[in-house]
Amino acid sequence: MKKFLALMLALCMVFALAACGEAQTAQKEEAAAGGKTVVTLWATGSDNVRQIFETLTADFNASNDQYEVKLQFMLSGTGTQSLADMLTAASRAKQTNTDYDLVDFSGDDWSKVVSLIGEEQFVKLDGAQMPNAASVAAKSSVSPEYCQPYRGTTVILAYDSAAVPTPPATMDELVQWMKDHPGRFAYNQPGTGGAGDSFARSAVYNFLPEEAFTSDDEKWTAEWDQGFDFLKEIHPYMYTSGGSIVYPAKNQGTLDLLNQGEIDMCPNWADMVLSQRAKGEIKDTIKITQIQPALTGSLQTLAIPTFGSHTEGAYAFINYMLSPRAQEIMVRDMAAIPLIDASTMDMTGYEDLQGLDVSAFRIQSIGGLSTNFNERWDNEIATLG
Amino acid sequence: MSKKQKQRIAAYGLVLPAFLIVMLTVAYPIVSAVIQSFQDEKTGEFTWDNYTYFFTEPNQLKNILYTLMVVVLTVVIAIVVAYLLALYLRFTKSKIAKTIGTLYLLPRFVPAMCAVYAMITIIRDSGLINRIGLLFGHDIHLGMMYHASGIITMNLWFNIPFAALMITAGLGAIPDSIIEGARDVGAGKLKVLTSMIFPLSAKDVVVASTFVFMSNVGSFTTPYLMGGNHPKMLGIALFDQFNKYLKYNRSAALSVIMFLICSVSAFVYIYTNLKEKDWEK
Repeated sequence: MKKFLALMLALCMVFALAACGEAQTAQKEEAAAGGKTVVTLWATGSDNVRQIFETLTADFNASNDQYEVKLQFMLSGTGTQSLADMLTAASRAKQTNTDYDLVDFSGDDWSKVVSLIGEEQFVKLDGAQMPNAASVAAKSSVSPEYCQPYRGTTVILAYDSAAVPTPPATMDELVQWMKDHPGRFAYNQPGTGGAGDSFARSAVYNFLPEEAFTSDDEKWTAEWDQGFDFLKEIHPYMYTSGGSIVYPAKNQGTLDLLNQGEIDMCPNWADMVLSQRAKGEIKDTIKITQIQPALTGSLQTLAIPTFGSHTEGAYAFINYMLSPRAQEIMVRDMAAIPLIDASTMDMTGYEDLQGLDVSAFRIQSIGGLSTNFNERWDNEIATLG
Repeated sequence: MSKKQKQRIAAYGLVLPAFLIVMLTVAYPIVSAVIQSFQDEKTGEFTWDNYTYFFTEPNQLKNILYTLMVVVLTVVIAIVVAYLLALYLRFTKSKIAKTIGTLYLLPRFVPAMCAVYAMITIIRDSGLINRIGLLFGHDIHLGMMYHASGIITMNLWFNIPFAALMITAGLGAIPDSIIEGARDVGAGKLKVLTSMIFPLSAKDVVVASTFVFMSNVGSFTTPYLMGGNHPKMLGIALFDQFNKYLKYNRSAALSVIMFLICSVSAFVYIYTNLKEKDWEK
């Protein structure tokens, strides 16, 4: 038995040593700069975000002979420590000269990090260091001087123009349209995709003061009643299958129904609709429009932590991201809403994007309240049948 | 060290990896889930609340009954159809029977996700059946999507081949000589079926039923893509508690409830397996 234990211990030690070895080689790799200064870019998101960043960093590295941007990508939803948490930890531990040279933030993550560690943990951006930023009108709603927006995306109303020649322009018109055309509208179950989340939450928060939509204060949950009554009121006019009202799962669920002609309208992501249309996966007659009050969108931004190491290299990459060339790559590959003047860019197939006004973006971040929201929706709306 | 000791260490060494993996990935999660299911979400103190929630909340109770309904219907229909198919394959020696005998296993080799989407494109209200109907001037709306009938249809697609495979094997084990013997002493076809074939294949039917039952109680893909919003099958209800509402203790309780539902069928399975075949006594 003793021998057996000794064997186990030996095995454990071997594993531990192997782990150390890995960490060491990682450090060595970073040291090898190949003549250029290595700037590390941190980003998170789904796989299409990783792909676009790989394309963009490769393009930047090929054309820039001073800096080499290295991507550190964290796939979202994998249960690992989130990028926001890692930055918070590094900042609180008072680390300096880390490799957090440049960080990519969604609107939600940016407000989360700013509230956790404060905007002064980021470099106050200097326009002179990134001339391309001069033409960008879009500003973050949170700490706008410390982050640079470079693309936008928003939930819009997708509709089949063959069935709906003039789409509704306001929420009231949309409700009237639903009542005139029962069963021809659907939004996906909140909690299964951002489009349904945006529609249901906007519908509820339209009855609340605007400040509520960017607050995670528990007190607002008490004021949801009117909004939920509204969702109950429109419930009978939703898509029907098998004799009962149905809210499909996932953004793609409603988009499929729209494409199949089972409904004529649904909320969805602008980038999702347009990139699928450009690939020929959905009908050409499917168009997008925004209603007032708007469905929610967000600006993707880049920020430079003060505890990073290569501020100038970070500026160079931000400047590149705002060049017509990089913006066009993002339009083509992910139907992102460009933030610079698109007249010099080839927008064939993505003309609808130009109609979306990024300055009118409605931002939502209700944080942990979304859990209560989804549960209440499931208990009160989904069960209406 | 004696030879015997060496052998013993070698034996432990061989079993150890499998043992550790089972302990880590099966035993430990089960034990910790059971413990968690009796803990209060905030204080961590002992409570029955997580369980009473599922049996007193009308929506949750409906989910449990709905799941049982879908699963029982799936089991009954799958077994009846599979039994008829197996009888046909066992006692018909034509080319068609042979072809069917080869083809009926095909669904087992189609990835679940592809199969579900394929079924959706056929039965949805704007799907293949609707389009064929339109050619003849009928606008057919099956209404099977987001409805129990759609889930059951899909379950049958997965489970009939599986059940048929098991029952066919059982029927194949019945020697021709017994049946011929019965026929020789004057038993009619019906008599052979009710007095010989049914009792001799009963065990395989029970085993196949338990497998179909267990694999459907916790099913996720099919009800997620084809089910309605309410009531939900337990797999989806569990996903909601865990992923959407972040209620980990309730999730643990629901897992234990699903485990208990399955263990009824596991008990039947073990009991039938231990029992000797009547004619082997």
